[in-house]
Amino acid sequence: MGVVCVYFYPVPEGKSGQQVVDGIQKQIELLGAVKTGNFCVDCETFQAGSGIQNTPQRQVNILHSSEQPASCFAILDTGTCLVADALFDGLMQKLKHYYQQRKGSKIESKGQRYEYGDFIFKVGSVSQASNFKGILVEIEYCPCVVAGDCMNLMKEMSQSLLGSAVAEQQSSFLKTKTDMIYTPADTMSQYLEHFNNFKKATSVNQAMNR
Amino acid sequence: MAVSSVTVSVEPVLESKIQEVKLDGQEIYVPPLSMSENLTKLAHKIDFYKDESDEKGKPTSEGEKDEAEEKVLTSFEQPSWVWDSVRNKLKAAFTEMAVLTDVLNIIKEKRYMVADPVSQDQPDNKPSVLLLAKKRGLVSAGSVLISGAERLKRSHSEHSNRAQDDYFIELLKIRQNWRLKKVGASILGDLTYKTAGSRFFQGGTFEVTKIVDDKTDTSTSHSRGSLEVIIPSELEGVAYIQVEVKSVPEMMDLTSVTLKMPAGLGVIRSDAYWQNKLEVAQNVLFCKELFAQLAREAVQIKSSTPHIVVGNQIITNAFPGIQLSIVLCHYTGKEKKIPQAPQKLEHNHVLEHSLHQLLREVHFKNINYVAPHPVNAMLGMSKRRRLAGPQGTSRRELVEMNVRDTLLEQIIKQTKHAVLRLRTMHVLDELALCIQDPQITAHWSCLNSSLECCVRINITAYGYEVVRSSLVLIIEVDTIQAILKDSRTITLSFEDKALQDLILWQISQHHIQVVQQLAKFHAWTVVSTNFNVGVGDIDLYGTAASLMMASPKGDKVLAFRSGAYNKIQMYLKEIDPSEAVDTSPAVTNPKWQKIIGTFQAVDVEKLQGKTFSQKVDMVMAKLTSMS
Repeated sequence: MGVVCVYFYPVPEGKSGQQVVDGIQKQIELLGAVKTGNFCVDCETFQAGSGIQNTPQRQVNILHSSEQPASCFAILDTGTCLVADALFDGLMQKLKHYYQQRKGSKIESKGQRYEYGDFIFKVGSVSQASNFKGILVEIEYCPCVVAGDCMNLMKEMSQSLLGSAVAEQQSSFLKTKTDMIYTPADTMSQYLEHFNNFKKATSVNQAMNR
Repeated sequence: MAVSSVTVSVEPVLESKIQEVKLDGQEIYVPPLSMSENLTKLAHKIDFYKDESDEKGKPTSEGEKDEAEEKVLTSFEQPSWVWDSVRNKLKAAFTEMAVLTDVLNIIKEKRYMVADPVSQDQPDNKPSVLLLAKKRGLVSAGSVLISGAERLKRSHSEHSNRAQDDYFIELLKIRQNWRLKKVGASILGDLTYKTAGSRFFQGGTFEVTKIVDDKTDTSTSHSRGSLEVIIPSELEGVAYIQVEVKSVPEMMDLTSVTLKMPAGLGVIRSDAYWQNKLEVAQNVLFCKELFAQLAREAVQIKSSTPHIVVGNQIITNAFPGIQLSIVLCHYTGKEKKIPQAPQKLEHNHVLEHSLHQLLREVHFKNINYVAPHPVNAMLGMSKRRRLAGPQGTSRRELVEMNVRDTLLEQIIKQTKHAVLRLRTMHVLDELALCIQDPQITAHWSCLNSSLECCVRINITAYGYEVVRSSLVLIIEVDTIQAILKDSRTITLSFEDKALQDLILWQISQHHIQVVQQLAKFHAWTVVSTNFNVGVGDIDLYGTAASLMMASPKGDKVLAFRSGAYNKIQMYLKEIDPSEAVDTSPAVTNPKWQKIIGTFQAVDVEKLQGKTFSQKVDMVMAKLTSMS
């Protein structure tokens, strides 16, 4: 398990999402990376305590990653992350009365996985309820476990692959954790951040459309 | 009433109590109590709780005595006198005694009371009746004894008969060793390894029946008992797994893979004892499971040279030219007896045994999981797998966790190691035989596993054991790690040529080391040594070592060159001291002047001495004395 950076890749005007994804994949393949199957990261949101008055609405996000098939990540609004066994889903079902699944909240990033030496690339198209939302590109550098040590390397790689505009955006999450040992939970937090951005964008769009 | 003449004295017997009797008969007495002790003892015996008011109301039988007593007691009449209760008791006792004397008087003096004897019928004392009664009693006692003796005799005889042909005793015995159950009217048994963890599909149900006794042939019934087991037809006969390691030519000839069925096996007779039959059948089942497992793995595993499964034989390649064949031999007794030439069975017992062991290990792992077993976790998960979720273990690590060597891979590994070990042994033995001059000794470690072993090789010259080159070979699955004297590690391939080269190279260096040591003894000066000479004849393998040394006076120079495959070469140069040496300004150190001049080759073979070291020793001694 190395250090992971998840980048949001904007879709330019007049191009479909699939076209952009194909473009990135082609670029990665040209680099010499080997295709190693598919990947999927999904996120479900549960809302707490609708029945209880005078308490702020609390959310719990349950994330799964195909890279960690045995694990289930539960992240609260505050950023607290619980890494549990995959059976945790069953536990959430038991808590139905308190935590209710938000309708149509399931958002996932799916796509191809590539390996290139010490790097792993994942090009995922994000969709919520089968609506295309955007593109997330994940770059993982396997030999390193501290984000701060390989940040420049990652930046260089992402610059050459995704362009400098994309490479500039860095997750606020990673900035705070530059000198700590990187864990899979951190990857999931990055994904959640992006997923929340997508959701916000859609709600803004809807508001504008109205 | 009371007669004053009668005095009753109560005193203890003049015998002391026996405390213990020793083994020699000596008796140890309790020492007699002194007066005061006796008094306290007696005082303790008095029941102080008995109400005195009883006595007060009682009419005292002896008025006079009572009065006298009263007089005595008046002097002591104090409410807080400690002996007050004792006195009362004594008084009561005295009253009792008085009553007792009264009673005795009544009995003794006939004038108070008369007792008349009651008339009673005399028992019939006729001798004939007595005799009859005695006789009857004796007869009944005798009959009880006889019936008991008969019962004993009967049970004894039954017991001795049963040992051979009692069906139920046999059934009890078979139940102690095998799993049986009653289905309807028949008794079925199970000889599979399922309870031991086997997951083989084939069943092994046998039926237990009773032999209907035919009294004609007693000799057979003795050996087979009165119980018969019917074994399923597919488990009949004798089976075993045969493992062979053969060296075959480069082109593997598949036609040579014939289905062998050695006929010289001890066939189990149909009238054998059930225990034998069941054990053999169980072995057949085990061998079948083992072979099925290996065959399945052979088909599944992809390797550079594919494993071949032909009929009852699995053929794999351990090394190029070395073939491992695993054969399932199952002789059911129904085959036609083909008169076969007695085959030389060069099978490998060790590998056969470890195959059996490996399958048993698989069985064991199927039912025994590694502790601990938390109640809230899935059964059979390892601790690492349980923690995989919370620790966010990646897919690759999870896959690695599940990788387990298959039986076939393990046996191939063991085969490779066994072959490699044999090869190494062979090479070392050959070299030790061929090369006499430096002696090669190999110390095999007695502690080894089926996949690794270790040997230490010492190279010494006869008579000059001070110098010793040693190296350690660690024989692994398909490579040999050699650790040299200077702790360099060399990885050798499975080819035995590589090992031979290495040892020859070590010997060539050993020669130079011996010479170096000799130089020290003879006070010669070593001018230069080089273990990796880059000039001269190129060796087939490795580099030659060289040494140059000057005599104490510096007028003789000896040079040696020793290579792995070139024989040791020796050169001598004598410097004439009278010869004027023009000292060139380029020469910084006088020792280099000795290099100038021509060397003469010395034929080592013709020198006097048995070994090379002796020869050099002799030459050096001669040269030292000559100069």
